[in-house]
Amino acid sequence: MWRLASNWAAEALAVFAKDWRCEFRTRYALNTLALFAFTTLVVVSASLGPLGTSAARGASVLPVLLWLILLFAGAAGLPRSFVHEEETHTATALRLAATPSALFCGKLAYGLSLVWALELLVAPLFLAMVSLAVRSPGLFVLVLAAGGFGLAAGSTLIAAIIAQAQGRSTLFAVLAFPVLLPLLILVVELTRNAVAGAPAGMALHQLLLYDGTVTIFGLMLFPVVWNP
Amino acid sequence: MKTLLPWLLWVWMAVVIWAAFFYSPLAAGFIGQSSRVLFFHVPLAWTAFVGFLAAAVWSARYLFFGRRLRDDRAAAVAVEVGFVFCVLATVTGALWARIMWGAYWNWDPRQTSIILVLIFYGAYLSLRGAVEDGEKRARLAAVYALLGVVVTPFFFFIVPRITYSLHPDSVINSRGEVDMESRMLQVLLAAFAGNAALFFWIHNLQCRLRALAEGKARP
Amino acid sequence: MELGGLGWIVIVNLVIWTGLFLYLLRLGKRVKELEKER
Repeated sequence: MWRLASNWAAEALAVFAKDWRCEFRTRYALNTLALFAFTTLVVVSASLGPLGTSAARGASVLPVLLWLILLFAGAAGLPRSFVHEEETHTATALRLAATPSALFCGKLAYGLSLVWALELLVAPLFLAMVSLAVRSPGLFVLVLAAGGFGLAAGSTLIAAIIAQAQGRSTLFAVLAFPVLLPLLILVVELTRNAVAGAPAGMALHQLLLYDGTVTIFGLMLFPVVWNP
Repeated sequence: MKTLLPWLLWVWMAVVIWAAFFYSPLAAGFIGQSSRVLFFHVPLAWTAFVGFLAAAVWSARYLFFGRRLRDDRAAAVAVEVGFVFCVLATVTGALWARIMWGAYWNWDPRQTSIILVLIFYGAYLSLRGAVEDGEKRARLAAVYALLGVVVTPFFFFIVPRITYSLHPDSVINSRGEVDMESRMLQVLLAAFAGNAALFFWIHNLQCRLRALAEGKARP
Repeated sequence: MELGGLGWIVIVNLVIWTGLFLYLLRLGKRVKELEKER
């Protein structure tokens, strides 16, 4: 029993490690994400600066912009993890080598690490460039972590789907947007609360519930998507 | 008996239409006769959701009970027909919003949630359009339909909590009781039943047409 | 309640509904015929 579990974990870890090794060779995803995020950051900061948004309006609008940046950066950089496999025809080997659930977890971990790395880069920069003060930094970090998780989980599953469907990036955006919209709404509300220093309330529970639901759904239905 | 059913539906809906204007009282708090739109808009919206659910049920049946392509076809048709109902619901809602609140669109939570369902429908259809292989298309679309059904409740139960709603208190108010004048409720439920029956009738016809067309395609 | 105005709306709705209904009936008949052919 433990042998099986450790095999599974080993597989997931192997997938995760492989993806990162490939990533470091080309640094494609990292570059894409970072470049995209940074460019949008500059645009946001440059366009808001001269307007001199009042603190009140800023507190309500800026969280939205932060998450939009993260969302679109994710859409630019995350799908690749599955699409790349299909393009280079390594997918068949993966189907033989790894159990689907371990594969999904490995890919999810990879996506998650990308998202969290992205947030680590973007969030502080964002706060600095738009001069946004966060009253509850603890909540802010929690929202980034949990929201990032949801973003990664949803994106990984959708990436798996579109990889089977010629993997066009426009299709990814089309499929991912409705799925991620509840996440987005929750996360923006929570970020606003963090900025204002207000308590998290029900929204945090719902965010965690969303994360759990999407992850479990992904785990359960990924084998269906992956195996013909 | 089977040939009688459509005619029964005709009579049913004709009575509902009459009742919407002459039997039911007006709802409080609305301009003039505009509350009557309720009997068209709400059943359309509810039926659109039913279509969404039906698509998910057929998708699940396809995936887990035999991978029969006719289940996939039923799911796809449910989305297509539901899409039409959804558009109609959105349009009637927007018209009513114009009359009542002065603007066609207000991002009121219920308006937003019907848009979400519409977007999901559209995304599902886009996915189907992007995959050529029948079996793969059925499989991927089914997973997506189920994903949609799993995700939308978050939207229905979260968003109304967050934003102030311009929508009148629903049929079942926040205390969980039915809070509508009984005549109005009768007509509303009857209209919903009629709409749902209409949905499944159209669905049945369209499925059979689709099956015939596919049959003809094979040599 | 102005009976004239409401009456018109009811009639228009009934006409639309009946039109849709008859169309679906005809479609149903055609489908049945096509199915018999197969």
